[in-house]
Amino acid sequence: MKDRLDTYLKKDKRAIYLIIIALVVIALGAGPFYMDVDTSFTAYYLFICFIYIVLAQGWNLVAGYTGQISLGSHAFFALGAYTTAIIWVQDVTKTWYYFDPLVMILSGIIPAIFAIIIGIPLLSRLRGDYFSFGTLAAAEVLRVLILRGGDFTKGAGGIRLPGSVFESMEPYYWVGFLLALLATAVVYYVTRSRIGLALKALREDETSAASHGIYILQYKVLAFAIGSFLMGVCGSLYAYYLFMVQPNGVMNLNWMFLPILICVLGGNGTILGPIVGSFIIAALFSYADIYVGQVHPMVSGVIIVLVMKFMPTGIMGLKEKISPHR
Amino acid sequence: MANQLLEVKGIDVSYGDIQALWDVSISVEEGTIVALVGANGAGKTTLLKTISGLIHPKKGEILLSGKPLSNLKTQDIVDLGITHVPEGRRLFSDLTVLENLKLGAYTPSARPFFADSLERVYNLFPILKNRQNQRSGTLSGGEQQMLAIGRAIMARPKLIMLDEPSLGLSPILVKTIFDLIGTLHEQKLTILLVEQNVNQALKIAHQAYVLKTGQIVMSGRGDELLANEEIRKTYIGERVRKR
Amino acid sequence: MSDVELIVQVFINGILFGSMYGIAAIGLSLIFGTMRIVFIAQGTVIVLSGYFCFWLFHLFGIDPYLSLIPIIIISLLLGTGFYYGLFKESAALKDRIGSLLIAVGLMFFLENFMTVVWTPNPRAVVTSYGFFAFHIADINITLTRLIGLVLAIVATLGISIFLRKTLIGTAVRATSEDAEASTLMGINPNRVNAVTFAIGIGMAGIAGITMATTYSFDPVYGLDFAIKALVALTLGGIGRVVGALLGGILLGLIASLGAYFVGTDWSQGIVFAVFLLALTFRPYGLFGGGGGDKA
Repeated sequence: MKDRLDTYLKKDKRAIYLIIIALVVIALGAGPFYMDVDTSFTAYYLFICFIYIVLAQGWNLVAGYTGQISLGSHAFFALGAYTTAIIWVQDVTKTWYYFDPLVMILSGIIPAIFAIIIGIPLLSRLRGDYFSFGTLAAAEVLRVLILRGGDFTKGAGGIRLPGSVFESMEPYYWVGFLLALLATAVVYYVTRSRIGLALKALREDETSAASHGIYILQYKVLAFAIGSFLMGVCGSLYAYYLFMVQPNGVMNLNWMFLPILICVLGGNGTILGPIVGSFIIAALFSYADIYVGQVHPMVSGVIIVLVMKFMPTGIMGLKEKISPHR
Repeated sequence: MANQLLEVKGIDVSYGDIQALWDVSISVEEGTIVALVGANGAGKTTLLKTISGLIHPKKGEILLSGKPLSNLKTQDIVDLGITHVPEGRRLFSDLTVLENLKLGAYTPSARPFFADSLERVYNLFPILKNRQNQRSGTLSGGEQQMLAIGRAIMARPKLIMLDEPSLGLSPILVKTIFDLIGTLHEQKLTILLVEQNVNQALKIAHQAYVLKTGQIVMSGRGDELLANEEIRKTYIGERVRKR
Repeated sequence: MSDVELIVQVFINGILFGSMYGIAAIGLSLIFGTMRIVFIAQGTVIVLSGYFCFWLFHLFGIDPYLSLIPIIIISLLLGTGFYYGLFKESAALKDRIGSLLIAVGLMFFLENFMTVVWTPNPRAVVTSYGFFAFHIADINITLTRLIGLVLAIVATLGISIFLRKTLIGTAVRATSEDAEASTLMGINPNRVNAVTFAIGIGMAGIAGITMATTYSFDPVYGLDFAIKALVALTLGGIGRVVGALLGGILLGLIASLGAYFVGTDWSQGIVFAVFLLALTFRPYGLFGGGGGDKA
C-alpha cells in the first residue's frame, strides 16, 4: 500500500515538474512578443544562453555516452561555422536567405563526418586522458588546415558574410530557441532510446562490454557524431549572427572550455544540467563583461575555481545531496 | 578476556550508493591468526580497506587496542601499527626491491628502526637480499609476494592484514607462504588473513569469520569451521566422512 | 651560408628551443603522473616567471641568471600554495574534469592579471651579453640559448637525482605509479603531492627565465606553450623525467625543421599530426619502458 502511495506522489511531483518546464519553455518561446528583441539585454542574454545550450548538450552527449572527455569541441563548432560561411560565399546552394535549413544541416553533417573520421581510431584505441589529448590534437590540426586553406577559408583573416537580409534579432532568437529545444530533445531521446540504454548497461559491466566489442564502438562513434552535429549547427547559427568567421573567433579555445564548464556546473550526465549551467555561465560572462569589463576573465577565473572546489558535482548534484531519492 | 588487538564493531560500509557491508563485527586477539573467508565479492577486501582507512564506514567503529580508528587517515593508521598487504600485491614495479622496502619503513614510528627491520626481512627472505637492486617488476610471482610481505614487515606492525597472499601461486609456493605466516605468528605478529584458499586458511587460523554478501554469517575457531559440513560443501567442495 | 650549414643551424635551434619545452614538460609530467591533473596553466605560470625575471632586471638590474635563485624559491612556494589552495580536493577525488577546470580558471586569472597590470605589450630580457653568439663555421649559437640548454640539462639531472636518491623523491615515484598503494605505506599523499607540485612550478620558473632571455613574450603566450608541453610530455611518457626533456627536444626539432621546410603554420600542423600518430601507436611514450598508465 505504501508503495502505491509513493508512486502516486511521485507521479504528481513529476506532473508539476513537467508543467513548470512547459511554462518556462512557452515563456521563452514567446519572448519576442513581450520583449523588444533588438534592444533588450535580456533577449541578447537568452540568445547567448541558447547557443551555449546547444553546444553544451552536444558535449554532454559525447561525455555521457562515450564516457570520455572531448577537448575538441571548438573544432566542430568552427567546422559548422566555416561550412556555413563557405557555402554562402561560394554560393553553393544558390539561396540567399539566412537559416537555410539545408545549409544548417550540412553545417552539422560536415563536423559529424570529421567526428567519425577521428572518432574511429581515437575511440577504439585510446582511453581517458589519451583520448582527450587526441581530440585536442585533431582540433589543432584542423586549425592549421583552416589557416592554410588559402582562398577557400581565407586564412587568418577569415570569411566575411555579406550583409543581413533580416534587420532584426527576432529570427535569431527563434532559431536559437528552436535549436536549444532540439538539442535537448536529441539528448533526451538518445538517453531513453535503445542506443542510450545499451551503452549505459554496457558501461556498467566492463566484462560483458568487452565481448560486445564492435557494437560498443559503433554506438560510441555514433554518439560522438551526433554530438558534433549539434556543435556544428551551433557554429552555423553563430556564423549567421556574427557575419564574421575567423580562426581566432570560432576556434578560440574558449569554445572548448565553455561546454565542459557548463556541463560540470550544471551537473554531469543530466539533461537539465547543461541548461541550468548555460544560464549561469552566460550570466556570469555577460554581466562580468559589463560590470567588471577589463578584469572579467579574472573574476570568471576565480568563480570557476570556487565552483569546482566547493561544488564539483554541479548544481544538479547539489539537488541530489539535499533530497536524495530512491 | 584476552587482549583484543583489533575490534570492528557493527560497521556499515558503502561505495557511493551501493552498500557493501552490513553490521559487520569481528575481533582479532593479540598474537593470533584470524582468517576471513568467503566467496568473491563477499566484501572481504572492502573490510580490510575500511580497517586500513582507505574507506570510511557510515556506521559503527573500529578500535585498535581500544583506540578508535574510524576517522583517521591511512598514513596515521599505518603509523599506529596496522599494515595492509593489498590484493595483487601492488608493488612499485619501477622501483627496486630495496626502494620498495625503504618505503615500507616510511612512517615516523618505523623509520628509526630501518636497518633492524631490513635485516629481519632479509633473514626471512634471503633471496630478496640477492635481488635488492633489481626492479621489483622483474621478480617472479613468489618473490613478489615475499617482497610485498617483507615491505609490510618494514613498517614494524602490530597487525598485518594479508589479502589473498596465495593468489596466483603454484602449490609449492602456496605452502611456502603459509609456512611463512606460521613463522610470523611465532615472531609474535598478529595476522588477519583474507583467503580464497579456505582449506589452508582454516588450518592455520585460530579464529575465523565467514563473510557472505557483506555480512558475517559464521564465526568460530579455525578447526571447528574446518570440520563444519556446510563450510566444506560450499567452500572446499568435499564431503565430510562420517566418523 | 651553405644549405647544409643552414640545416644544421635549424637543427641546433630546434634543440635549444625544444629544451625549453622539455623543462616545462617535466613539471607537467610529474604533476600529471602523481595527481592526474592536466595543469594547463603551466605555460601561463612560465610567462609569469618571465615577467618576474624581466622586472627584476629592469627595476633592480639583477642579471636574469642570478634571479634564478629568488625565482626558484618563489616558484617552489607558489607550487605548494597552488596545491593546498586549489588542487588538494580534486586530487583526492581523482576528479579529472574538476582539476582541469580549476587550472583553466587559474590560467584566466593569471593571464588577465598580467595583461591588466603589465599591459599586453611584448617584453624580452635583453642583457648586454644577450647578442653574443658562438660562431662555428657559419653557424650561430646564441649564448643565451646555449645557457638555456645547459639549464635544462642541469635541472633534469637535479630532479632525477632528487627522485632517485631521496626518500621523498622515491615516494613521489611510487605515488606516480600507484597512489593508493603508497598511502598504504604510510606515505602522506598531501605532502607528496605538494612536493610534486612545487617541483612542477619550480620547473616553470626556470623555463620562464630561459624564455625571457631568448624570446619576446606577452601575457597570452602561455596557452600555446602549455599545449606544446603536453605534446612533449606524451612523447616522453608520463612521469618520465628524462623522457619529457627528450620529448621537448624532439618537439623543438620537428617544429624547427618543419618551419624551415614548409613554413610555420604547417609545422604546427605537423607537430600535432606527429602527436596524434604517437598517441595512436605509442601512447606510453616514444622512449621505451612501459610504465603503463594506471587510468
